[in-house]
Amino acid sequence: MTSTLGQEARTSPPASRPDRRASLTFKNKLGRLDVKYSPYLYVAPFFVLFAVVGLFPLVYTFVVSLNDWNLLSGPGEWVGFGNFAKELHDELFWNSLFNTISIFLLSSVPQIIAATFIAVVLDQNLRARTFWRMGVLIPYVVTPVAVALIFSNMFSPDGGLVNHLLALVGLDPIAWKLDTLPSHLAIASMVNFRWTGYNALILLAAMQAVPRDLYESAELDGAGSVRRFFSITLPSIRPTMIFVILTSTIGGLQIFTEPRLYDAASVTGGGAHRQFQTTVLYLWEMAFQRQNFGRAAAIAWILFLIIVMFGVLNFLISRRIASADTRITSRQAKRRLEAARADTAKTDAVKTDTR
Amino acid sequence: MNHSRRTKVVSAIAGAASFALLAAGCSSGGTGSSSSTSSSGPVTLTVTTFGSMGLDGLYKSYEAAHPGITIKANNIDTGGNARTDAFTKIAAGSGLADVLAVEEGWLGAIQNVSDQFNNLKDYGADAIKDRWVPWKLAQATDKSGRIIGYGTDIGPMGLCYNSKLLKAAGLPSDRAEVATLLGGTSATWDKYFAVGKDYQKKTGKAWFDQSGFIWNSMVNQLPEGYYTSAGKLNVTENPELKVRWTQLAAANAAGLSAKQTQWDWNKGKSFTDGKFATFMCPGWMLGVVQGQVKTAGGDAAGATAGWDFADVFPGGAANWGGSFLTVPKQSKHPKEAAALAAWLTDKDQEVAAFKAQGPFPSVVAAQTDPSLAAATGVSAFFNSAPVSTILSKRAEGVKAQVKGPDDSTIQDQVFGPSAIALDQGKSGTQTWNDAMKLLDQLVVNK
Repeated sequence: MTSTLGQEARTSPPASRPDRRASLTFKNKLGRLDVKYSPYLYVAPFFVLFAVVGLFPLVYTFVVSLNDWNLLSGPGEWVGFGNFAKELHDELFWNSLFNTISIFLLSSVPQIIAATFIAVVLDQNLRARTFWRMGVLIPYVVTPVAVALIFSNMFSPDGGLVNHLLALVGLDPIAWKLDTLPSHLAIASMVNFRWTGYNALILLAAMQAVPRDLYESAELDGAGSVRRFFSITLPSIRPTMIFVILTSTIGGLQIFTEPRLYDAASVTGGGAHRQFQTTVLYLWEMAFQRQNFGRAAAIAWILFLIIVMFGVLNFLISRRIASADTRITSRQAKRRLEAARADTAKTDAVKTDTR
Repeated sequence: MNHSRRTKVVSAIAGAASFALLAAGCSSGGTGSSSSTSSSGPVTLTVTTFGSMGLDGLYKSYEAAHPGITIKANNIDTGGNARTDAFTKIAAGSGLADVLAVEEGWLGAIQNVSDQFNNLKDYGADAIKDRWVPWKLAQATDKSGRIIGYGTDIGPMGLCYNSKLLKAAGLPSDRAEVATLLGGTSATWDKYFAVGKDYQKKTGKAWFDQSGFIWNSMVNQLPEGYYTSAGKLNVTENPELKVRWTQLAAANAAGLSAKQTQWDWNKGKSFTDGKFATFMCPGWMLGVVQGQVKTAGGDAAGATAGWDFADVFPGGAANWGGSFLTVPKQSKHPKEAAALAAWLTDKDQEVAAFKAQGPFPSVVAAQTDPSLAAATGVSAFFNSAPVSTILSKRAEGVKAQVKGPDDSTIQDQVFGPSAIALDQGKSGTQTWNDAMKLLDQLVVNK
């Protein structure tokens, strides 16, 4: 039916108006170009911005890392991968990497576990639900500088709140700013304070997309709330979980503000003995205090490669877990499909017989 | 598409308005750059200082005397942070103030890039160069003879002490008596630590706040510190440093250090809690002590906090610090900025800065100015001590030490952590070796 309409349209071209047909063709051309190429134009601004603000600095940093570059006096001579070699042999760099990974593990792991449980609680039928959900985001809104200064005060060894509380319970005061592990715990607590609520809301959004019938049918089948959480909620929010883990990994390996302000009076960033100097902080010290841009750029690139490595590792692990599931389900699905096909073949055979 | 007439009118107005906004935004940048050659339009000068240089009260009178000039001042809390700020902006190529305060500790690094600072000889430095102490002028002159900075203050060192605590320990607490107690003109570090041990035995309290400042003072006293007079690195080759480190370690072992965090001092409370009895005081530190007592909620106007200033220093004359006002080439108004810098470092202004916060003038005429002796501001806090007279006496015999390019790195990041380790109880040998290792990593093999 549509074909006949089209034929009608084609069989009635206004032969007496050739100009209109000519301009129509030009407009047609434009229209075709528009449909084909305007999507690229629409996404171009982002890529142009990324090229200028993201890609160019990345490449330029690599160029800087290949030279002996002083902060104040500018580029020196070409050293190739000499800066990278120096960094890989630099004891202070490995110390900063150890600190970074330690703080990252101390912050990301409890943070994500806590965020999951908070999301579960927020998912329930609470009163003043919006208030609780907004409230959980307030620590994220507070500027990290203010958080760092307040926490730094709280963990102060002489008169800080935490040591005061420990004394009340009868424990010895801990040297939060001098010892390595306590300082890592304090900084991890700052990071957790800021990011737990944010991650909780993301996981909450994922949880709310899980169909309620699943929970209802599981409850009818006799599953307790814990069983429902581990068997329904967690598997359903797996992609979001992967996203949250990935972003907190990337963020956790780049922590700068908290250790920088934790001991604001310290001239060396990260404590006098570099107890809590993260890699980004070491990079900043190398660039702006030791005035060695070349080595700082090398540190930046090594950190970038380490983060990419962590990201790929994360991705492979989570893909393996996810595919294991799909393998099972696809195996089950295959069996069911076989059984269903066998059934229909039987009924078809019966049908043909009776026909 | 068929828009209503109203929509067309509204969109036309919106389009015209945004175009006008864009044009205005772009053009204001244009007029800004054109005023660099002619000073007929109003000029805004930015000034960046640090610590307590005492200049904050002077800007208003300059603005009043020079209509058309507005001064935007920014004061950074510590010299270390000011150094990071300055270095970052020099590297970035923009953001530096028109008048930038530079400390002598990092002047060495600045001299390496002295071509990024205006030669003040182009703006009348020759006419005023005799006003400063000769060694101060020499510090600010680079290898090719360009004068890049005008000296603000020098840091002759005296001893701040808490008269209340000394009295409670049964030790003399009068200024002159304290000076005699520590040996007067022949005061030595051994005598200082010996008196400290005595105080510690009598009261069980610490004598000084932390090892870092003691170490800085010891080093600044030497004729050659971390660098030789020719500018070569001189740490492992300098036996004097090891001798003094051993002395400091022994003092720590006797419990004389209050293990404070420098520049924090428990938010100033250690100055009012009686945690330590003496404190290293170059001229510019007087304002800092007053500020710390104020932060801690103590009496910063009167002398009830108990702090006093004695005319004595272990080891004789010493100079710690001192700053300069420079005019970076980034400045768009070098002529006006140089004029402001010259005014701020003139005799009357340096006297006013001293009266406000205590940094001792580097201009000779200011040092001998009779109005300097009046007991105001800082003086009143230190029990009406004749601060200026004391500092003038302490400035006698001071010889500038050559500061190399990595001087502040060596002071803060090589010996800084080791001084803190000394406070925490590590041995002198261990901490010295740690410092040498850091020296290798941070300075020698950088």
